[in-house]
Amino acid sequence: MFVQEAVQEHVATEAAEKFNAGKVIIEHVSNSGLDHPLLHVPRVLGIDFSVTKHVLMLWIVAAFVSIVVIVTVRRYLRQDRLMASGFMNALEALVEFIRDAIVLPNVGRKWVNTWTPLVLTFFVFIFCANAIGLIPIFEVLGVLDHFVLHTAEESLVKHVMHGGTTATANFNVTAALASITFGAIIVAGSKAHGFVKHWTNLVPHGLAWPLYILLIPIEVMGMFVKPFALTMRLAANMTGGHIAILAILSFVFLFTEMFGRAVAGVGVGLAVSVPLAVGISLLEIIVVLVQAYVFTLLTAVFIGMAINVHH
Amino acid sequence: MNGLPFFGAAIGLGMIVIGAALGIGKFASAAAESIARQPNAADKITGAVNLPLFLLEGVAILAEVFVLLIVLLK
Repeated sequence: MFVQEAVQEHVATEAAEKFNAGKVIIEHVSNSGLDHPLLHVPRVLGIDFSVTKHVLMLWIVAAFVSIVVIVTVRRYLRQDRLMASGFMNALEALVEFIRDAIVLPNVGRKWVNTWTPLVLTFFVFIFCANAIGLIPIFEVLGVLDHFVLHTAEESLVKHVMHGGTTATANFNVTAALASITFGAIIVAGSKAHGFVKHWTNLVPHGLAWPLYILLIPIEVMGMFVKPFALTMRLAANMTGGHIAILAILSFVFLFTEMFGRAVAGVGVGLAVSVPLAVGISLLEIIVVLVQAYVFTLLTAVFIGMAINVHH
Repeated sequence: MNGLPFFGAAIGLGMIVIGAALGIGKFASAAAESIARQPNAADKITGAVNLPLFLLEGVAILAEVFVLLIVLLK
């Protein structure tokens, strides 16, 4: 999308003479560029399908979630007596929470089993994508590469270093997720009331006609604003926290440069940066949970609004 | 006038924070007050406060994204 391009352009145009905090930070949260993709795919219909960092993260998250959930559920179903044990307990609690606390109050008893799977998938996927972004896997890999592995300049390990780890911090990813919500709202309304009735339900009935001139554009706009707000909220929240952590950590390098010696940077790091970064990381753990919850809750609310029309 | 976009972005960011803080403060105070009056209804009150709170947060985040855009696209 537009924002991502702007960010990358900004990175490209910025000339790096000294330590440039803005450039480093943006490079750590935005997607890796198309000039060094992880996997080259030829252009199809003029679109570059090369695999970038965020696509790789999406695959990792999807594989992780499917393997963990499928293995757990298969093991549970193979038993003679269906007794939940171990991780299955946690999974059951999660499913129950999503169904009873998020979907049921909003969607209603009649449609709860239709829409719980979608909302549950959203929650698990977004939560795992957010949470994996907090784990510094690639930073550890980079340190290992620098001191132990010493791979070549164009190796896969070096390529993986570029770009951020949180796939949900990419506006394209969240826009895709929100378009599923957009489709789900229309499908929900159409299934509950019929296709034509869903569209007439958008505005209240029996008003004076001049009001409709005002109301119809507002409601049509609202239809698009809902998924747009979902997109922006998730992506901006996931980017914002990481930028804050990186900005605080970059004090170390800024102070080193300012005073010309490493001791100043390390001192500031130990006294200010590390405690603050730990605090914000703790806050990020909450944000990760809350944002997954918010996305699923709002999806359930919007689907419920299409089904239970209060006009 | 090279720094003017930064100037505007900084003022805008400050105003966003003021607005969001006022809004969240009102939510928190109203929720705390009503829970104090009716501790039994705490769950319902939390549920009712949650949704508008997230909508408010969404507006603030949107504004921050636009501020970021001003800086990046100047």
